[in-house]
Amino acid sequence: MLANKFWQTLSRYSLCCVAFCICLIFSFKSLANTQLQSRWQQVESSGKDQSVYFYAWGGDAQINAYIQWAAEQVKAKYNIELVHIKLSDTSEAVSRVLAEKSANNHTQGSVDLIWINGANFAAMSKHGLLLKDWADKLPNFIYTNPENNPSVLFDFGLPTQGMEAPWGQASLTFYYDTLATSSPPQTLNKLLSWSKANPGRFSYPKPPDFLGMSFLKYALVVLHQHSDAMLQAKLNQPANDKNTAQVLDPLWTFLNKLHPNLWRNGEYFMQSGIQMRRLIDDTELSIGFTFSAPEVPAAVKRYDLPKSIRSYAMADGSLSNTHFVAIPYNASHQQSAQLVADFLLSPAAQAHKQKTAIWGDKTVLIQTSLSAEQQGLFKTVQPHPSALPLNSVKRTLSEPHPSWVEAINTGWETRYGASQ
Amino acid sequence: MSKVLHSADLFSRLVKVTPYCLLALLTIPVLGGLMGVMLPAFGWAPALNKTNMSLAGFNVLWDTPGLSQMIGLSIRTGLISTLIAFALMIIMLAAFFNSVWLKRIEYVLSPILVIPHAAAAIAVSFLIAPSGLFTRLFSPWLTGWQLAPEGSLPYDAFGWSIIIGLVLKELPFLLLIALGILAQPELGKKLRMQHQIAINLGYYPMVAFFKVVLPNLYPLLRLPIFAVLAYASASVEMTLILGPNTPPTLAVAIMHWFNDVDLTLRIKASAGALLQLAITVGLLLIWLLLEKISAMIFSQSLINGRRHYAHQLVRAFTYIVTCVILVFIAAALIGLVFWSVAGYWRFPDTLPSSLVLLHFENAFTHIYTPLFNTLVVGVVSSGFATILVLLCLEAEQITAKPLAKWALLIIYLPLLVPSIAFLFGIVWLQQLLNSQHAFFNVIFVHLLFVLPYVFLSIADSYRRLDPRLARVAASLGSSPWKVFIQVKLPQLFAPILIAMALGLAISFGQYLSTQLAGGGRIATITTEAVTLANGASRRTSAVYAILQMGLPLLGFILAWGLPRYVFNNKQA
Repeated sequence: MLANKFWQTLSRYSLCCVAFCICLIFSFKSLANTQLQSRWQQVESSGKDQSVYFYAWGGDAQINAYIQWAAEQVKAKYNIELVHIKLSDTSEAVSRVLAEKSANNHTQGSVDLIWINGANFAAMSKHGLLLKDWADKLPNFIYTNPENNPSVLFDFGLPTQGMEAPWGQASLTFYYDTLATSSPPQTLNKLLSWSKANPGRFSYPKPPDFLGMSFLKYALVVLHQHSDAMLQAKLNQPANDKNTAQVLDPLWTFLNKLHPNLWRNGEYFMQSGIQMRRLIDDTELSIGFTFSAPEVPAAVKRYDLPKSIRSYAMADGSLSNTHFVAIPYNASHQQSAQLVADFLLSPAAQAHKQKTAIWGDKTVLIQTSLSAEQQGLFKTVQPHPSALPLNSVKRTLSEPHPSWVEAINTGWETRYGASQ
Repeated sequence: MSKVLHSADLFSRLVKVTPYCLLALLTIPVLGGLMGVMLPAFGWAPALNKTNMSLAGFNVLWDTPGLSQMIGLSIRTGLISTLIAFALMIIMLAAFFNSVWLKRIEYVLSPILVIPHAAAAIAVSFLIAPSGLFTRLFSPWLTGWQLAPEGSLPYDAFGWSIIIGLVLKELPFLLLIALGILAQPELGKKLRMQHQIAINLGYYPMVAFFKVVLPNLYPLLRLPIFAVLAYASASVEMTLILGPNTPPTLAVAIMHWFNDVDLTLRIKASAGALLQLAITVGLLLIWLLLEKISAMIFSQSLINGRRHYAHQLVRAFTYIVTCVILVFIAAALIGLVFWSVAGYWRFPDTLPSSLVLLHFENAFTHIYTPLFNTLVVGVVSSGFATILVLLCLEAEQITAKPLAKWALLIIYLPLLVPSIAFLFGIVWLQQLLNSQHAFFNVIFVHLLFVLPYVFLSIADSYRRLDPRLARVAASLGSSPWKVFIQVKLPQLFAPILIAMALGLAISFGQYLSTQLAGGGRIATITTEAVTLANGASRRTSAVYAILQMGLPLLGFILAWGLPRYVFNNKQA
């Protein structure tokens, strides 16, 4: 009897306890949510009606037009004046922030928002030039489904720590002139035999150019596809004196075979992907590649490439990565820049960007986390004949650890940087 | 009367201060800029957490693969291109001195002066590349080539492509400066008369030029030549587009190090910038040495009385060379125009398959702000530079003391220091002052580059003014201000306009300085053009090159047209 009563009381208490705990959890969660919400409300209220100086590569008319469109949108939405500062090299903006830091300008920086890639991100975060812990708090960030989509939390293998918001995705895409070659090589090995048969019709931009480095990383990853797991794992670890030779030797062996058959016998290397595109238009080269697949049909429409161009993805894999926007630690308009970054992540902005006629840059949003109405925005139209056919990327290759960039660069410079 | 006296005093006092203003204006940023390079070169870069002074940067620099090749390439291309441009300018002047052809050649060459280096390099590379216009003319009907053949130009290891590009850009500049000097009423008249006398004495015209005109002309040309030599040895735009890159020239390598994402490379870049400075100074000394040697060799032949030296041969050679240059330039310009309206233009087609206005339409949708910025910055900086230089030169005459040698050197410093390193230092300085006025910063930095050219262009005309006129005016009771405005400036009408036009052209052509000093916020035609040239097509670059040529060309047309119009009216 007593025991019965005891158990009854205990279960009632425990029920109360559980209910209380549940309440507590919910209230904490809602507290956290309201905190996030109030944080964002604060960002919204203080970020409005200002200017945002967006430092972004300005070499592509289509991308410039997209940024112009985004500027009109944030003007209407937040009365923000988005000024596109067109760079020919992103490191110009890095220099600027660095110069400001060395001059003790810690609050009045001229760069508010910067379009960044893995190498620049690694350099800027290493020197503490970026604002932290804001990107993962953007309201639209949940659409990227970060729990199941690590590519938005890591840039070239480095954790972003909320320092940059994802903007788009790209993968290495090849294109060729059908009048010059009818069967382009589909793998790295076939590329070697193809260039032996067609000497002088292929080359790659000189590292440290981003695209040239991407080609070398693609080759490195592919060359290790059949290596043992231990060696493969080293690609994801920092390069050091011990593992550098072991990991990079296959690359040098491959390049030693490839270089004599390159354009200009490998004694001169192009400066950039754009120079490569010009040389394909001039028919000096027959095969090229780009990290921005929609650039190819856009160039054909602008007459910058002949109509005989077709795009394809390599069968042994396409190097893929995500590109981001970041806010320097000393930006003058940090709140406004966050509003812009959030807008760039919105389904409407991402869908507009993905249209091939606009930019064709692949969205970073995950379709399943979007509502049906939002998914409808992403419907596609018939692509241009020279564009990369849909779903042609069969295998994506992830970027090796960023420290390999320097290791490859140094090794390349000593081996091929000073010919004769 | 007292009022006049008062204003006269004020003017004289104002004028006497200006040289100090000019020197301060140039010294502070240049020294600051140099400091901004020196400190990191010796290892002091607080932003990179490096505060130990050391020679580590130089050690890294010496270990760079191919450093000696880079230095060799810089020296070779700088010296050879300047020598060729100088020699061509002299023989062209000699062959066409006192002939209407000189003016015509000048008209053809002057547009080249205002094409930005990057665009000119693209135009040249299209001519000499294996897929270029010259090959297309003969393909496939003669050569059978359906695809572009393999070739070695541009990007050749010796640097011939760079030399071709630089000569085509420097020749018009030198010629224009020389003609500016010869356009001075007194000096020009004197030299032309002496030339005529020599011809009457039986000297062949070209020989007369070398023996009578050149010795008087050369001292006035020395500084412009130095500017050209310094530029050629440290330029980036042309060598980047036309030169080899395994390895490139030192200046291009430095630029890559400065732009590298590995920020510690800036230490090496700064050390490299000091090395570049040493190379440039070394080249100037070599030139001086060459000057001395040739003076020794030729001083005897000036007075040996020989009337001709195989002049037929020399004349024929000059005509051929002139024709080749004109054809080259004409082809480059025609190429530019075609590219700006070209539809598909696949090798081996000699002409584009269709002509479209799309590239112009695209350019014009975004042109207004850059155009406005370009004009404001150009007009303000070259106008201010001209006024400052004129007042300085007037101060020289009022105090009867020429500017000291070291002062002259300061005026030329911005042209002698490799601009990328020196600009990085200036940006650092502007940051220290926390100056947020982008327009002011840009105009200020443009002034550094515009001032020397304006000074180069006017100084000698001003110093060669016949002092008797001013003395007569003063003795008739005119105040210094009146003498300056009503006697001196009218005589200098043509040189002043040419200097302004040159200043405008220099300002219009600035890329790095606009980009760095303005924090990228001041978009000009040139910054847009270079950004697009790095990214977009040869077609878009051609459109911008044509736009860039149009603006300063207007300036030069005014500069040549106005004096004629004014003088014709006076005669009427």
